[in-house]
Amino acid sequence: MTTPERTVPRSRVRVVLVDDHRMFRSGVRAEIGELVDIVGEAPDVDSAVTVIRETRPAVVLLDVHLPGGNGNGGVDVLHGARGLETEDGQPVRFLALSVSDAAEDVIAVIRAGARGYVTKTINATDLVHAIRRVSDGDAVFSPRLAGFVLDAFGAAAGEIAEVDEELDRLSAREREVMRLIARGYQYKEVAKELFISVKTVETHVSSVLRKLQLSSRHELTAWAMGRRLL
Amino acid sequence: MPTPYERPAPAPEGRAAATTATTTTAAASARPRRVYARPAEGRVIAGVSAGLAEHLGWPVRWVRIGFVLSCIPTGAGLVAYVFLWALSPQSRGGVIGGGITTIDPADPQAAARVPDPAKAKAASEERDATRVLLVGGVMVFVGLVVAAQSAGFNARLRILVPLLVVAVGAVIAWSQLDDAQRGRWLGNDSGTKRFSAARLVFGGILALAGLVIMATRGRSISAMWDIGAAVVAVLAGIALIAAPWMLRLWSDLRREQAELARATERADIAAHLHDSVLQTLALIQRKAQDPAAVVQLARAQERELRSWLYAAPTDPDVTLAAAVAEAAHEVEELHGIPVDVVSTGDRPLEDGGQALVRAVREALANACRHGEPPVSLYLEVGPAGVEAFVRDHGPGFDLDEVPEDRLGVRNSILGRMERHGGRARVRRLENGTEVSFALPPVTADAPEESHDHA
Repeated sequence: MTTPERTVPRSRVRVVLVDDHRMFRSGVRAEIGELVDIVGEAPDVDSAVTVIRETRPAVVLLDVHLPGGNGNGGVDVLHGARGLETEDGQPVRFLALSVSDAAEDVIAVIRAGARGYVTKTINATDLVHAIRRVSDGDAVFSPRLAGFVLDAFGAAAGEIAEVDEELDRLSAREREVMRLIARGYQYKEVAKELFISVKTVETHVSSVLRKLQLSSRHELTAWAMGRRLL
Repeated sequence: MPTPYERPAPAPEGRAAATTATTTTAAASARPRRVYARPAEGRVIAGVSAGLAEHLGWPVRWVRIGFVLSCIPTGAGLVAYVFLWALSPQSRGGVIGGGITTIDPADPQAAARVPDPAKAKAASEERDATRVLLVGGVMVFVGLVVAAQSAGFNARLRILVPLLVVAVGAVIAWSQLDDAQRGRWLGNDSGTKRFSAARLVFGGILALAGLVIMATRGRSISAMWDIGAAVVAVLAGIALIAAPWMLRLWSDLRREQAELARATERADIAAHLHDSVLQTLALIQRKAQDPAAVVQLARAQERELRSWLYAAPTDPDVTLAAAVAEAAHEVEELHGIPVDVVSTGDRPLEDGGQALVRAVREALANACRHGEPPVSLYLEVGPAGVEAFVRDHGPGFDLDEVPEDRLGVRNSILGRMERHGGRARVRRLENGTEVSFALPPVTADAPEESHDHA
């Protein structure tokens, strides 16, 4: 995100805002409306799917808890808008936004396909960064999400994947990256600490996201099954 | 029924005595007044003999032999036994030892209040239940034999024996249903529940058989079958008619219970919101001119509500992660700067953990005082030990530049960790400062928990 071609002004990211609280929507619009192009808003699952299908934005800011649909909130929106593409041929990407940082909320939206997860207390600058990163196809991991990943994959207990492709455990490098993110490091700080490029950090994070979405690891599936998400 | 053993113990009087004995003390008379009750332990069948022996002061063996002998000619002893069984209360916690009881008349309830070890209790209950079933089976056999023998010529037994069978069935089914047993009956642990159900069914069948025998009055077996079938048909009919009504009653009851539970839950939530969120909102309105105070109030309330909604109740005195989070919250409240806490894993709080918590608190306070937000804290508890990191985004400082007399960092962070076998390190980053802590894993011989707050 610090590479020059990305900070150079480019076409503003098209964003749809999905949240059932009007005050929150107008607050976000006031804070980041100058920096991104908010092309639509929706207060519930059904109108969200409609708006997303019509506008086909680059990023959907998606509240986890929403009325309507099958009662699964943001997860229903993700299912309803699956496979959509923007005019550039990029997939429509989702950044989950929630007041809750309960593990089951995180796991539900990530497994349904969200590229990142931030809490609503995030400040405007960080939110815009997160939106840009998601629109570039990267994953956005908050420190808390990183901590949860370390927990769920048993990485804190010392379980390390033998090969990188293994879905149920993190590789040693991925674990290092997650640990640094959990410690509050930005991607560029992680890169500096591990003597790797920011791009490599992003690759590792995306790979962790993929494992999080595809792994059948017991803890993840137990959570998902317990909440009828699978 | 001329048996010498039924005379001295009229059951209603025994029951009355039982109620008064709980209020009078042993000091009222020289010899404490013995209450006729069936002891729970040291019994063979139902404790009638043991209770009687205890009541009369006779050796329990002689009482038992007497009962058996009196049964042989006419079965009178059996009738007496069943009567005593049905009408006498079960004593609570009385222990029989060779005819002498150790029950304390001053406070017979005390023994019942002492909790038994659950395993021994369950085992003895199972033994009891098996014995009751066994004895019941023998009684059925005897009853049927007597009934067959007397079918033609003994009119008295023809009524007496079925009555006896009915009585035994009823006793088996219901006599044990005192208040202590009722809880178990309604199903606390599956083992006793199964035995209770078996006993109930068995008693019911016994009583039914007695009724059928009484109704047939020694007519032929086929007539008995007819009557048996008729009884079953009538019972089935009653069940058929009553079933929908019973079902509705049951579902109504269930719904009412569910509604009650929901209402209670709603009341709990309302009470909690009133005590926390509404109070905070009122405070925020009053402090609207002070943004810092408003942010702090909102943040504290958010944290409180969040932990109430999502977190499992953890005690900060018990686990390391909870204690560290508690310390972070205290610092946050004190300085009004948000601290992001992320932790994975947990372990019981021991001496080293206590030291870590204090050192982390000091580092967080430093980060809030000298650094810039965001301040973050990461705690990782694993088999290789504990690691913690406190990070801020301030200009940072060099440990060598800190004057010797400023003991904060050197003493309360670095020194404290080293004293407890761990280590701490201060790192100056490009953008901020990071203090890292490490503790070795808890060794096997170390105490699991510590109560002293050093």
